[in-house]
Amino acid sequence: MFAELKHALQRSKGQIVGWGIALFLLVVLLVSMYDSIAAEQETFQELLSVYPPEVSAFMGDMSTFGTPEGWVSIEFFSYMPVILGILGVTMGSGMLLNDEEDGILDLVMAHPVNRTALFIGRLLAFIITIVSILVIVWVGFIVSMAWSTIDIGLGVMWLPLLSLLAELLLFGSLALFLSMILPSRRLASMTTGLLLVASFFITGLAELNDKLEVVAKLSPLNYYQAQEAFSDFNGTWFIGLLAAALVFTLLAWWRFKKRDLRVAGEGGWQLGRWATILKHNK
Amino acid sequence: MTNYAIEIQGLVKWYGAVQALYGVDLNIKSGEIFGFLGQNGAGKTTTIRCLLDQIRPQAGTIRVLGIDPQANPTAVQARAGYLPGELHLEENLKVEQLLRYLGELRGNKLDKDYLKQLVERLELDTSRTIKNLSSGNKQKVGVVQALMHQPELLLLDEPTAGLDPLMQQEVYRLLKEAKAKGATIFFSSHILSEVEAIAERVAIIRKGVIVEESTPSQLTHMSMRQVIVRFLEPIDTAPLAKIDGIALLSQRNGIQATLQVEGDMDALIKTLAQFPVKDIETVSHSLEEIFLKYYRAEDQEEN
Repeated sequence: MFAELKHALQRSKGQIVGWGIALFLLVVLLVSMYDSIAAEQETFQELLSVYPPEVSAFMGDMSTFGTPEGWVSIEFFSYMPVILGILGVTMGSGMLLNDEEDGILDLVMAHPVNRTALFIGRLLAFIITIVSILVIVWVGFIVSMAWSTIDIGLGVMWLPLLSLLAELLLFGSLALFLSMILPSRRLASMTTGLLLVASFFITGLAELNDKLEVVAKLSPLNYYQAQEAFSDFNGTWFIGLLAAALVFTLLAWWRFKKRDLRVAGEGGWQLGRWATILKHNK
Repeated sequence: MTNYAIEIQGLVKWYGAVQALYGVDLNIKSGEIFGFLGQNGAGKTTTIRCLLDQIRPQAGTIRVLGIDPQANPTAVQARAGYLPGELHLEENLKVEQLLRYLGELRGNKLDKDYLKQLVERLELDTSRTIKNLSSGNKQKVGVVQALMHQPELLLLDEPTAGLDPLMQQEVYRLLKEAKAKGATIFFSSHILSEVEAIAERVAIIRKGVIVEESTPSQLTHMSMRQVIVRFLEPIDTAPLAKIDGIALLSQRNGIQATLQVEGDMDALIKTLAQFPVKDIETVSHSLEEIFLKYYRAEDQEEN
């Protein structure tokens, strides 16, 4: 397992460095901009008051735009589940399927590493990669707060990141599970990506339309905490998201243990055999 | 009691609606080199992948080195070396990085001197990145990783595919050396000269069924041979056609007869003793011709 973990982490180096640096710079830029925004708060509030309510529904409470928590939430945390979600979905769907479709897994699995150990090794590498990127983001906030009037505590700054982590793990594990039951990585990524975007829109639209509240309760992003995390972090929601991620992960592990490994390429729907059996039984 | 490295009984495998194996029975003795012949899609790779628990059969039993690979796959994998038929390697790694990683998956128990020897004998540059290697050099990486831990069992799917003749010979030597150290070698191929050159026993698989299992020499011996007999004077060739296992293919003015002989030649020789024979020419079939005959004959039956 450790050999696989080490190897998978080496392969994730690029993701950590690339995403980490990009998000670090974005955070530094946003935090650095805060002081000038805060100085012009009244003007901005006037401007924001004419914004349609749809903007608030998706970006967060615009009346808090001038507060440090409101600023970082609206400008960063509100859309990060979708941006980093793409990474989570890509990594989740490709955790095993990337190598299987490339034909690499065939050789790896001929070595004395059982499927559970390989699964755990790669899952840990996925989690470490996501956590590392979020740590870099956190460091970005902490470092840039040194020359800004934003003063959010080191521990408090972790809370929205924890909620983001739970969302990323949930969508990553869903993509992983779908990659185990759908014929290809492409299809698993597409389906999870679609669910992620749909979840983003449903959660936002539910703010505007009460009728959507019932549907929104099924949406994972309904339980994502950006600005709310700073003042009233809901531990139950956080644990609930992690529990859902765990369920998808266990289902994916169970499926991986049971299924045939392909030599390479994409698979099929595997419905043919049942069709043949039904045909013969007629 | 015969000690078998691989025992397969009634192996059945479906891929969706397609049945790949129809009850394969095969026993491979410990320490032998066994060739597995068949066309593409005949079931060679499917059989090999079942042995390593890469895929699970719907029916049948398998024992590899006495172990059920489905119950304890890592015990089999630890003692086996595998070369896939469709070899895909991590393109961005250097050869040495890939071999190190695969060695780590085996718990770093490699004999480094032996590994160095393998690399030298196969003239492999381990500092090169895999994506920059030719297909032949990638195949050499595949051969090295299969042999580097000196396994008790080698499962090789088309081991010399893409190698030049000199490297093919080197691989044959390596396999013979592995056998001399006690390893069992089960390899699939459709290069029949390769099977003839190194296999002690051979099985032919066709459409998921083993159609023949024998030694290469028995197979060529038992098969049809053509015998051309020239006589000193014209004879009545009718008695020749009446011998069991012999068919008269053609005759020329009673002075030359072309016969097809199945099995041994005893009855033919005894019958020919009655005639003034000038010359006998026997044309033995190669394994390749036998293999093709199996396929052609059964295709004709189906049609």
